[in-house]
Amino acid sequence: MNKPRYLYKSEEFMMIFEFVSEGPKGQIKKMVQYTDTGTENVFNLAFGDYNEKTKNINDLSIANNGDSTKVLATVASTVYAFTEKYPNAWIFATGSTAVRTRLYRMGITNNIEDIKADFDVYGLTTDTNTWVEFIIGEDYEAFLITKK
Amino acid sequence: MTTIEELNQSKIPIIVFDRKLEQFRDKVLFPAKLKKAKEILARAGLPKTKKRFAH
Repeated sequence: MNKPRYLYKSEEFMMIFEFVSEGPKGQIKKMVQYTDTGTENVFNLAFGDYNEKTKNINDLSIANNGDSTKVLATVASTVYAFTEKYPNAWIFATGSTAVRTRLYRMGITNNIEDIKADFDVYGLTTDTNTWVEFIIGEDYEAFLITKK
Repeated sequence: MTTIEELNQSKIPIIVFDRKLEQFRDKVLFPAKLKKAKEILARAGLPKTKKRFAH
């Protein structure tokens, strides 16, 4: 995962991360959160834009700040940090929309060699509704990742 | 001072701790995503794997 990424901040438990996207639209604060799903040891990964004025998060916004690859690489690097602290955790991820989910799939596909060196990756098939090992080119509804 | 090269070469990222983020610790910032995750996990279950899900 040697792609350019932003430096980020976190708190003691490494459940919340913050970084700033920089591009033509200016500086946009991004928040990443890992949340207990209620299924033992499975945490939901979510990220989005943080509006400091309204104190609201928007995970549907399309910032068009020209740095989506760098933003995804930064979010991916939080997975390393989170699983370093919680090595037995499983991380669940899905997009807010089908387009976002495909974007995540592309992000995994583009880094699959690096990711599979350190993580087991599963995709939830859209047709049979079952978890399978991630295969490039397949369409998935959601993803599960855990440290090897 | 952290250099970009240093940051980009490390698999385990260099993290700056910020106590201000503790204000979000007990808040669910993405409730719709969490709801969706719970629904999918309830419907699809978990992968059949040797790795245990329990702590």
